[in-house]
Amino acid sequence: MAPELVLAHARERDLTKLAEYEAVGGYQALAKAREMTPQAVIDEVQASELRGRGGAFFPTGRKWAFIPKPDQNPNPHYLVVNADESEPGSFKDNEIMATVPHRFIEGCLITAHAVEATRVFVYIRGEYTGPYEVLVGALEELQSRDDILGGVTIVLHRGAGAYICGEETALLESLEGKRGQPRTKPPFPAIEGLYRSPTVVNNVETMATIAPIIDLGGAEYAKLGVPDSRGTRVVSISGHVERPGNYEIENGTSMRSLIYDLGGGIPGGRALKAVIPGGSSTVILRYDEIDVGYDFNSLLALKTAMGSAGVVVLDDRCCMVQLGIRISEFYEHESCGKCTPCREGTRWMTQILRRLEAGDADQGELDLLLSVCDRINGKCLCPLGDTAAIAVASYVDKFRGEFQQHVDEGGCPFGDSSPLHNVLAPVAMRTHSPAAVVPA
Amino acid sequence: MSELYSDVQRLKETYPDWHSAMLPALREAQHKHGYLSPDALRECADALGTTPAVCEAVASFYDMFHLAPVGEHMVEVCTNVACALVGAQQVLEAFEQELGVQAGETSADGFATLRPIECLGGCGWATIVSIDHHYRTHVKPEDVPEIVQELRDGA
Amino acid sequence: MSTPPTVKLTIDGVEVEVPKGTGLVEAALAAGIEIPVFCYEPRLGPPVGACRMCLCEITPGPPKPQAACTLQAADGMVVKTALTSPMAAEAQNATLEFILVNHPLDCPVCDKGGECPLQDLTFRYGPGNTRMTFPKRTFDKPIPISPLIALDRERCILCYRCTRFSEQIAEDGQLVAVNRGSETQIATFEDDPYRAPFTGNVIELCPVGALTSTTYRFEARPWEIQDVPTVCGLCPVGCNVYATTREGKVKRILSRNHPDVDGGWLCDKGRFAYQHVRAEDRLRDPLLRVRRRGFEEVSWERALDEAERLLREAEGRIVTALSGSETIEQAYALAKLLRGGLGSHAAMLPEEVSDALDGFRVPLSAIGDAKTIAVLGDAPVVERAPIVDLWIRRARRNGARVVNEPDGADILIWCGPGGDGGARVAQLAQQVGASGAFYLPETANARGVSDAWAAAADTEATNPDPIGLLIVSGDEAAANADVRALAEQAERVLVISMFHGLAAGWADLVLPGTSYLERDGTYVNLEGRVQRLRRAVIPPAPDELAWISQLAGRFGVDVSPYPTAVFEEVSAIAFGGIPFGAVGDHAELPPATQRVDQGSGPAGVRAQQFDGLHLIRYRALFSGPAVERTPELQFQRPLAEVELSAEDANARNIRPGDEVTVRSNGTSVTLRARLNRDLRAGVVRIAEEHARDLQPDVELST
Ligand SMILES: Cc1cc2nc3c(=O)[nH]c(=O)nc-3n(C[C@H](O)[C@H](O)[C@H](O)COP(=O)(O)O)c2cc1C
Ligand code: SF4
Ligand code: FES
Repeated sequence: MAPELVLAHARERDLTKLAEYEAVGGYQALAKAREMTPQAVIDEVQASELRGRGGAFFPTGRKWAFIPKPDQNPNPHYLVVNADESEPGSFKDNEIMATVPHRFIEGCLITAHAVEATRVFVYIRGEYTGPYEVLVGALEELQSRDDILGGVTIVLHRGAGAYICGEETALLESLEGKRGQPRTKPPFPAIEGLYRSPTVVNNVETMATIAPIIDLGGAEYAKLGVPDSRGTRVVSISGHVERPGNYEIENGTSMRSLIYDLGGGIPGGRALKAVIPGGSSTVILRYDEIDVGYDFNSLLALKTAMGSAGVVVLDDRCCMVQLGIRISEFYEHESCGKCTPCREGTRWMTQILRRLEAGDADQGELDLLLSVCDRINGKCLCPLGDTAAIAVASYVDKFRGEFQQHVDEGGCPFGDSSPLHNVLAPVAMRTHSPAAVVPA
Repeated sequence: MSELYSDVQRLKETYPDWHSAMLPALREAQHKHGYLSPDALRECADALGTTPAVCEAVASFYDMFHLAPVGEHMVEVCTNVACALVGAQQVLEAFEQELGVQAGETSADGFATLRPIECLGGCGWATIVSIDHHYRTHVKPEDVPEIVQELRDGA
Repeated sequence: MSTPPTVKLTIDGVEVEVPKGTGLVEAALAAGIEIPVFCYEPRLGPPVGACRMCLCEITPGPPKPQAACTLQAADGMVVKTALTSPMAAEAQNATLEFILVNHPLDCPVCDKGGECPLQDLTFRYGPGNTRMTFPKRTFDKPIPISPLIALDRERCILCYRCTRFSEQIAEDGQLVAVNRGSETQIATFEDDPYRAPFTGNVIELCPVGALTSTTYRFEARPWEIQDVPTVCGLCPVGCNVYATTREGKVKRILSRNHPDVDGGWLCDKGRFAYQHVRAEDRLRDPLLRVRRRGFEEVSWERALDEAERLLREAEGRIVTALSGSETIEQAYALAKLLRGGLGSHAAMLPEEVSDALDGFRVPLSAIGDAKTIAVLGDAPVVERAPIVDLWIRRARRNGARVVNEPDGADILIWCGPGGDGGARVAQLAQQVGASGAFYLPETANARGVSDAWAAAADTEATNPDPIGLLIVSGDEAAANADVRALAEQAERVLVISMFHGLAAGWADLVLPGTSYLERDGTYVNLEGRVQRLRRAVIPPAPDELAWISQLAGRFGVDVSPYPTAVFEEVSAIAFGGIPFGAVGDHAELPPATQRVDQGSGPAGVRAQQFDGLHLIRYRALFSGPAVERTPELQFQRPLAEVELSAEDANARNIRPGDEVTVRSNGTSVTLRARLNRDLRAGVVRIAEEHARDLQPDVELST
């Protein structure tokens, strides 16, 4: 069992209280970091080989190093924290902000020092009232503590319900008061981000990992985990397991042990059918593919990823076409509508999948589904559309027989015995501007 | 009017660029008007110094902004995969029963709006139900009558 | 000036060298290769990469198709379009399939049909069949988003060109995208119309038939029309346009992008007011006053006899009131007859424009690149020379400061009273060392007309008393109060007017006038650029030049009926002798002249100080004879609003939208308050038609 770094002491103490957090050595890493030059802090983080916990897994230290020095670009630097956690299966940032807010804030302050920013914006998803209130409380406690804040202002900016705003450039658009539609890259945020100024965008867990890294020293941290996936990671386990929840693991722990040791196995003595390894955007794993390390390279070998570390476990009652529908509905609903393949393609995918489930599809339409996925994948402006296509295509790929059955038997072999049967998805919201008329 | 106007001026101060006050301002306006009615949007636009069309464009992008009237209470049941796997649909139906309203609609008496919603980021504590934007975890169909009763007593 | 650095890249095997910073779409064009696009439109600012039509295989880069429109040419870059790359071909074909999945394909009844990028690109790169077997997304269609524009949401491909124009170019915040994902649609707020000065441009920007002109809908098929290249005659900017004609009628006006003048944009007046040409009350035959019985229509022969008689009987005691909308040739012909032939030099010129300006002559596009722009004179630029407002906005987006004091400005713009024909602004430009100065006259060819009038003779004018004959040339002059006053004193009045009624009652002879769309000739715009008007349609009556030449003949004055000849004559005197032909379709701006010392002149830029607020009344863009005769433009008429600075508003705690009362000794008017960041404190603005008889010195209160 790995040492807890991000969630350390959160179980036995109420670390939302400043005193409690300081009692366990809180904000000492910050003091230590402020003794160091910004560059030294960046070097330390690069030594730790930390990679972003938001999904893209980009080396954090390197990202910070991209920030132009003040003499290269006079504009102020900004740190924007991505707390929009909306990927189905992922709920780690929620718990981190709610239980170790100060460790999170400490990370933000260290990062601000490293990238020479005096303003931090935490873009927290609008639905997260709980974590938001915890952070408000934590910041209030810090009001009187200039020794900690050190002249840095932290603004909590609440989202308003849009998964795409987790994508960093869409997040910046949204933070600038616009519709949350991704920007083209380049320019990357580090060069031209918030208000067209150099901006670092990092995930909540990434931030919460910084203080421990400064505590331990980068090299020490890098001893944990496996090559290319160093340190620990907070994994969200949900679905058909006995003990769902967040677990801080050492990278490289086997998927099997996540499901059976931490998760406590499948309830009701049922059999494992499949597992979504890193949130809805990742390629699904079959029951016979779980003897794999939970780390970048091992999962890459199976063409999948840790993504946002949302492990969703499905037992043998689940219909993969129904899963496809619900996931496709999600991406259709969340597509920002900016680029054509994502906007039109996800809608089309859902239509075809529904027809498959209803048993009205012929062979051609199963192939059409794959073709549509293929035509979306790699053509989109941002990864949302691409991953929607990859995920759904992977269900077909890994459970081809089951999809075929829907065609051959003219219907769903599982029907309502599958928990995903006829699940009602959100209905698209419309404004009162003359609305669309959809034919019956 | 004046109240929202001055609140919005204050919000504009918190950001280097006033445009960033858009979401918070819409939030305020919705809070004051119950939903983002045309008048609410006009008021918001005047306070921000932009046009109602721009406010509507932004508001209509986000699921938490309501451009049509909603009930006194907002009941949102996560029906994404993780919650669905442990019975979110049944929870949703239980709420339909108790509130006497179709999912996606507002009860005739305007007491509550019930709607399914995408992943709320609480998959490990499924089923998640967000009631007036406060989460209820591990909700089972059998808990629903009690929850609704609490709401009614509170109201 | 050093040549800019260039980069070498290969596109479909063709090596090209282009200036650093060139976009891939343009680079490909330089190699004669097409990269298909929908959303890409450089005039709308940075690329957005939305439609994905331009996907190409590009190395270096990730092993997937890249949106070429978002990338710049770089050394050693290898670009493969659909021509040479199966990957790109597949990607572009896929994009078109997705675009067409929910497209109605109602091309046979679509105005865009035949000139539609979606049709063309589908023809070249698209799938030949559809694999879509589900009901398509349908909308109510078409819905009017204003009396001018119809929106068909089914045809919309969500390229966001129109909304980007509204947001980033016109900055009117009226036309937006609402909802999300596949529910996204283009809309205005509620059922408000898209009401702003430049709305029509979105029709030209739309790459499909989603935004169409209500005035052009179902009027013509692309293969039945001719586009006549000419110049808009409705304001001093002189935007370059095409007049689309079918069967001798003007059907629409399109931009003919002159990058230095209009940047490819038009205001709605220039785009839609062409309908005045076929107005009900258009004069077709001369009108003669006959004793008590009022007016009667007479033949041209008779009319010319009458005109000749009026001219002779006046014995030289003639005053000519000009409009500033005459072509150079008309004005010169008139001057030659009256000044040269009859020695009648007295004239009321629309507006004298000072030559001192020519020392600071720069193209309008220079405003867009300025660092600091001083807008002086307090009248609203957009109402007088709309496109200038777009150039100013562009400069501001590029980080320029827009101020209303001359100091430190590199470009000065004078719009409003006290400008002294531009002499004042030229003087200030010299004082502050500005590189360019503009004066915005009220009429389209004020400069050309006064130059032409001056060119005909250099005798000093002496005002005749009593006035034997007042010649009123054109409708602006006919509508001018001072001219009316003069008519009271004149024994006889001859009016040249396009419309019935304008001259009724006070004229003795009315000769039908023509529209700029019916004339051949030249105009001088506010930059001092001589531009060519081409006749798009035949006027209902002989044009001015034709009959002036005949009339002149009767006095033994030789005036050619051909603009070419007349221009060469006046050009030799006033325009450096450039021949008619050399004016060209994208006229050049003559170089700035030697700056003549202006002396220092009065300090400051304020005509007069007021203890209260100073009222500026202005002639609204959407007013005047042409607008009045275009039903679809009526909703654009100025609102009952008063514009004021934030400072003055706060001082009186007035909020945007408040009902305020504007008072000046005696009278008061109640109007809606509109805040304007660019307006200086102490000044309020109200459109003529709402200012009633308010005095220049006003007070405001809620
Ligand atoms: C559709 C989409 C949704 C995303 N959602 C999130 C999110 O909710 N939280 C997050 O931290 N990163 C999210 N990301 C990744 C961000 O774009 C970005 O890579 C990340 O915030 C960088 O922080 P990190 O380097 O610390 O991981 C998302 C990316 C995409 C394409
Ligand atoms: S209406 Fe036309 S210009 Fe506007 S988004 Fe649709 S296709 Fe593009
Ligand atoms: S033209 Fe490149 S994405 Fe639209």
